[in-house]
Amino acid sequence: MAFGKKKDNYDAQNYMKMSLKTFLLYLVIIVFCVIVIAPLVIVFSSSLRTPENQTTPLALFIEFSMASYQKAFSNMNYPMELLNSIVTTAGSVFCIVIFATMAAYPIGRIKTKLARFLYFFFISGLIIPSQMVIVPIAQTLNRLGIPNTRFTPMLMFITCSLPFSVFLFSGFMKGVPVEIEESAYIDGATLGRRFSTVVFPLLQPAIISCVITQGLWIWNDYFYPMVFISKKAQYSLPVGMLQFLGDKENPAQWNILFAACVLCALPLIIVFLALQKQFVNGIAAGAVKG
Amino acid sequence: MAQQGKPKKKGANTSLVFTNKMYVFLIPALAFFLVLWIYPLLQLFYYSVTDFNGINYDFNFVGFKNFSKVLSNGTLTNSMKNTLIYAVFTVVLSNLIGLGIAMALNTRIRFKGLFRTCAYFPALFSAIVVGFIWSYVYMPGSGMIGSLMNLAGLNGDTFNPLGNFRTALYAIAFVEIWKGFGTTMIIYLAGLQTVDESLLEAGRIDGCTEWQLIRRIKLPLISSTITINVILSVIAGLKAFDYSFIMTNGGPGKSTKTLMYQVYETAFTDMKMGRASAFSVLAFALIIAITVLMLFYMNKREVEL
Repeated sequence: MAFGKKKDNYDAQNYMKMSLKTFLLYLVIIVFCVIVIAPLVIVFSSSLRTPENQTTPLALFIEFSMASYQKAFSNMNYPMELLNSIVTTAGSVFCIVIFATMAAYPIGRIKTKLARFLYFFFISGLIIPSQMVIVPIAQTLNRLGIPNTRFTPMLMFITCSLPFSVFLFSGFMKGVPVEIEESAYIDGATLGRRFSTVVFPLLQPAIISCVITQGLWIWNDYFYPMVFISKKAQYSLPVGMLQFLGDKENPAQWNILFAACVLCALPLIIVFLALQKQFVNGIAAGAVKG
Repeated sequence: MAQQGKPKKKGANTSLVFTNKMYVFLIPALAFFLVLWIYPLLQLFYYSVTDFNGINYDFNFVGFKNFSKVLSNGTLTNSMKNTLIYAVFTVVLSNLIGLGIAMALNTRIRFKGLFRTCAYFPALFSAIVVGFIWSYVYMPGSGMIGSLMNLAGLNGDTFNPLGNFRTALYAIAFVEIWKGFGTTMIIYLAGLQTVDESLLEAGRIDGCTEWQLIRRIKLPLISSTITINVILSVIAGLKAFDYSFIMTNGGPGKSTKTLMYQVYETAFTDMKMGRASAFSVLAFALIIAITVLMLFYMNKREVEL
């Protein structure tokens, strides 16, 4: 398929050379993929063993037992943590999309120095790692009387996501034709209507990109929940994993730890496999166009 | 950045359609940003000259003692050095690997989707899960690499990258590369797909070698993608925290204490919020300086290419 169609100037010798090159290309890529995936395969195979059977982790898939999973499942309080993760991620991403598209609307449309300043004001937040400001942020929340609940980390996720999201949406706003909005204006549409029925739907590719990149980060983040949540019942999946921190030095617990790792990653793997195309396009679109 | 956009009174906006009324849309985002980002950021400067411990609000002003302490006890220079090594190592390798694999996948190759999924897969895992997996991979003797070494007749017990202060930082940086290069690759792949095939064809007719095609046509055409990827990975590299926290606890010694880890440790383990704030203030200055220099350099470079 690769060369058959290019019949013109490939003589036999050239063809041989090309297929050797193709062979090497495949070899490099396959070896590389195996190296990347190997730790994951071993982890998965070990998680399928009973907690007692620790011998020879390199012998793959010699046992299929759910015992480690049962243990990990109950240690983690899995249904509760899963629910917390879903609520936190969905809630944060929803608010981010609404707030950031709204903020990007004037920033992308108004051509004044003030709008330009606001753009740089927001994206300057990209440079500074927000975790470094964690001490005064905790004090500020304290002073505002916001208690540490499962919703507190959401406030931080929304805030920390704004620089990137505003940057992304302002970039895409340029691709939404001004003329459409002008004709909506002439037809008497109000500002709110223009935003919600004209601009917002046309930002769809950027919204998908924002949901995927920010959702991925929020789902996997453990830092803010670790700092702001103290009750075990409010933990999300990654924070719940912190309780296994002591087990990583203790090989006797590995099978359970690995089962917990698989359980923690499973929901996202399922979503990824179902929406692979959107993931790949979303990640690329965010960086290339934004 | 702040001065250049100082508003010159409104009125500059003469558009009928896009009136200043639109600024209302900024309110929710601006409220979050000001209250939970700008205000705490300013407070950081205030806390940095106090002996605040996080609990007791009757703290004293101690002047610049925190700053001189941070500079004199060597924590800043040590963690700055570690962060820079970590960032440079991850930026260079994840971009080279990401670009290389993207170029390999951008040829007419079968199972492209499968390979891409494999390479991207590690990016789906939470840093904490990745930290656990790699703690096992690096475990001397019975870990993955140790077992493979035993199998090959070498002594796997001697392999302990996390236990050696010379290698620990590189070992955790490698984990970051493993997790991050897939995202970099996807972005490069998207960039490479925008390269016009007819330009490459013209190059081939003119007798360019494969390397010349890459160096003279592909790389210049994706220079903006390179910029984006480098910036994204520099930002991620300077934020290094996860694997120091999960895998090494900053050790052995202080060899994997990064800026972020040092701030966290000073604030939450040593309960010295004042000193942590002073540390953050100095770290910001350095991070901002590095980023701004890099942006200037990258912009210039992009034009030259």
